[in-house]
Amino acid sequence: MAESLLERIVGSRVRSRDDRRFVLLHLPAAFILLLAILSMLAVFIAYSTPIIEKEGYRVFTSSLWRAVEGAPAREWYGLAPAILGSIYTSVIAVIIAAPLSVALAVTIEELAPSRLRGVLSVLTDLMAATPTIIYGVWGLAYLAPLMYGVLSWLHTHLGWLPLFREEPTSGYTIATAGVLLSIMSTPYAAAVIREAYSLIPASLREAAYAIGATRFEAVRILLGMIRPSIIAGLALAFARAIGETVAVSLVIGNSLTITASITSPGVTVSSLIASQFGNAEFYHYMTSALFAGGLVIFLIGVAVNAAAILYMRRWEEAMGLGRA
Amino acid sequence: MAGYALEVRGLHVWLRDKHVVKGVSFRCPEATITAIMGPSGTGKSTLLRALNRLIDLNPDARVEGEVLLRGESIYDMEPYELRRRVAMVFQEPNPFPHMSIYDNVAIGPRLHGLARDRRELDKIVRWALEKAMLWDEVKDRLHDSPMKLSGGQRQRLSLARALALKPEVLLLDEPTANVDPVNAVKIEEAIRDLVREEGVTVVFVTHLPSQAVRVSEYLIFMYDGRIVEHGPSREVALNPRNPLTERFFRGEL
Repeated sequence: MAESLLERIVGSRVRSRDDRRFVLLHLPAAFILLLAILSMLAVFIAYSTPIIEKEGYRVFTSSLWRAVEGAPAREWYGLAPAILGSIYTSVIAVIIAAPLSVALAVTIEELAPSRLRGVLSVLTDLMAATPTIIYGVWGLAYLAPLMYGVLSWLHTHLGWLPLFREEPTSGYTIATAGVLLSIMSTPYAAAVIREAYSLIPASLREAAYAIGATRFEAVRILLGMIRPSIIAGLALAFARAIGETVAVSLVIGNSLTITASITSPGVTVSSLIASQFGNAEFYHYMTSALFAGGLVIFLIGVAVNAAAILYMRRWEEAMGLGRA
Repeated sequence: MAGYALEVRGLHVWLRDKHVVKGVSFRCPEATITAIMGPSGTGKSTLLRALNRLIDLNPDARVEGEVLLRGESIYDMEPYELRRRVAMVFQEPNPFPHMSIYDNVAIGPRLHGLARDRRELDKIVRWALEKAMLWDEVKDRLHDSPMKLSGGQRQRLSLARALALKPEVLLLDEPTANVDPVNAVKIEEAIRDLVREEGVTVVFVTHLPSQAVRVSEYLIFMYDGRIVEHGPSREVALNPRNPLTERFFRGEL
């Protein structure tokens, strides 16, 4: 019985005893990872149950945040501003990071002379490795004041757009967080795009130039070939942006209001959890509400990744590379 | 007097410090096929890439000498226009995998503005696919991916893509090296028809002596970066003057 279960896991094809040991030795790593993810999901569901039982779906759609000590019945937590803020800032980040990361990848892989290429490559890796608190403090001290000027100008001249309708009162806004997140996630997206670009066979590069394409036209053709990787890179950037906590909470202004205007302060689920978790224990339901928020961005992350994978599948099938 | 489509004078190419093409000179009369044969690693492909300045893409390459396209130096031309007039087909079939069969052929005319409207573009695409002897096999699935074609069909698609540029000169870098014999024969046939019917001038690189003799009017034998022998194909095949050429024909090089 034990033997047959083992056989099923390892596969009956692994006939050699040495091979079987080798495979068995490596199974635990994958297994532990799977367990970790499943337990994460289980913990988030378990901890968010009390608030969902109390407020129902309105914990996700309400914008009221009322923390009352010693009176659990009067507590009310609405996550809508945080959920919308997370999506809003991440989408802004990806929209800005998309052209930046493609341009960065193309510059490094195709346009820069080899010496500059090395420098740029190291700088990009360094950007990816920089701790997020560094970005946050830089954003606080430099980017936010800069953005204050930019957003005030945008409000004055384009204030009729809902995006810039609110007059900024400081540099700590949704837009500032989006810009900071775009800078932080660009190196990640660029790394994925660069990798794919460098793997384009030389014969296809030659083909592009041999039909008389200019540099710009050739790059456009080659980028078309790696469109799935660009999508994958941007999905990664989105995941990083939606999960970022410290840096965002330093520049977003932490205001629990719903607004369409990116010139207003806001909040994200991640920054809300980071800023509130410490004192959540004084309240009956707040911890549960924060877990519910975590569950939402966990699910959003899964959805974005699933969409990216689905897109790539369809692409591979369209190209005749699909695995049936 | 019949003119020369292509004239090469004292061409040298260095790749880094390696002297790959060592002072090559030859002329290709209009509407003829010149085959360049020789063992691998003698600089045939490098020479070919100097003729449409594709070698400019290699920052480690240095070129000296003159190449004239219908009497005009290729270094006085925009490289992009030069590459339209001197098209190329490679050893690997290399259609763009993310474009449909139709778009693979149409992209050249689109980039160079060769068609005024959709109908003209359709005509060029059909013409190029017919000339590449592929039309009958793909006419019902022009919007399919080229990845669904066989290797030989893909190579003929690469040929059609080159032809759609309406080139004056066609450079072929061992175009049949990676396709099956049936497709190889089709490609050779297509190329001979092109020369006869459209007046295209062809430079055909191959490492197969039999193919070189079969397809060409003029034959160049290259060895170690130099032209060892050059003449009308039959003459070279029947009476090679250089012992190296003879040894190559016997399969000893």
